[in-house]
Amino acid sequence: MQAVNKFLETIGRGAGRVVGALYQAGRDSIDQVVKNILPFMAFIAFVIGIINATGVGNALAQVLQPLAGTLVGLIIMSLIVGLPVLSPLLGPGAVMAQIIGTLLGTKFADGTLSPDVALPALFAINPQVGCDFIPVGLALGEAEPETVEVGVPAVLFSRLVTGPIAVVLGWLFSFGL
Amino acid sequence: MEALAQAAQWFIGLFQAGAATFTGLVTGIIPLVIVLMTAFNALIALVGPERIDKLGEVAGREGWAYMPLRYLVLPVVAVFFLTNPMAYTMGRFLPEKYKPAFYDAAVSFVHPPLGIFPHVNPGELFVWLGIAQGVQSRHGDAELASLAVRYLIVGLIVIFIRGVVTEQITRVMWSQRPKTA
Repeated sequence: MQAVNKFLETIGRGAGRVVGALYQAGRDSIDQVVKNILPFMAFIAFVIGIINATGVGNALAQVLQPLAGTLVGLIIMSLIVGLPVLSPLLGPGAVMAQIIGTLLGTKFADGTLSPDVALPALFAINPQVGCDFIPVGLALGEAEPETVEVGVPAVLFSRLVTGPIAVVLGWLFSFGL
Repeated sequence: MEALAQAAQWFIGLFQAGAATFTGLVTGIIPLVIVLMTAFNALIALVGPERIDKLGEVAGREGWAYMPLRYLVLPVVAVFFLTNPMAYTMGRFLPEKYKPAFYDAAVSFVHPPLGIFPHVNPGELFVWLGIAQGVQSRHGDAELASLAVRYLIVGLIVIFIRGVVTEQITRVMWSQRPKTA
């Protein structure tokens, strides 16, 4: 009888743990959707709606298109966005990357941009990722002040090299898309 | 009167376009993202994120042989289990000279997995989704899946390169630094 009880208890505990974890995971997901995803969707929908309805979108797309349509253009874009002076300013919340990405998305949707530049474009809009956050990110890793002093410019300069490399890699891996 | 009505219609039209975009985003994307995030959040809770601490300790060892562990395995595992921004806390296991490079590798991996693992950075979904949605609406789901997988794979290569390059730049800058102490 003792053994049976023990067995039942183990099963009960295990099931409780799994169900509890799943339920909590669901709660966290809904939280994320309400706090982060929905507000951003509202913002994007508003911006894109206005941009498209007023025709500003077409003008903007006209500027972006020569950059986004070719490999050389995308490399230039990644160099501009990755400039050590600009990248920390463009970083916060990835807002710039998300807006440019969505604008380009409308051009992929109407067929002006062919899908084989989608992958390099994903990297071209994002060489500044995390550049606004380097001191905080390093502090989270318990770095010394001296490390932060060296680390901030090191990462910023590194992006000038690795940004374009990422675009070229994206282009190389686009065959068959 | 006629002109006023037309102006009003134009004005509302601006927002109707936005509303249509919003409906598309909410019904098209959120249900899948919720289910995916729930699955991965549960997995992480059941595995226990504290288990990856050991990996951090090994990854901090000297030598080029540990580079793939430091700038590929560790950032990927950290981002998957701890998500943005807690992933960067894994840097605490590394020697100071590797911390900037690890941060660079880890932070560069918060977007490439978004097509498959949206839980790593749900607040910045549109870095991926903006372009992805456009591709999907014209070329379909198969093309979208193919793009998601390629984004992830190229992301892996890019973070490794970033780690290695930033480690070298950090080393050079550190040696050229005027000694203050």
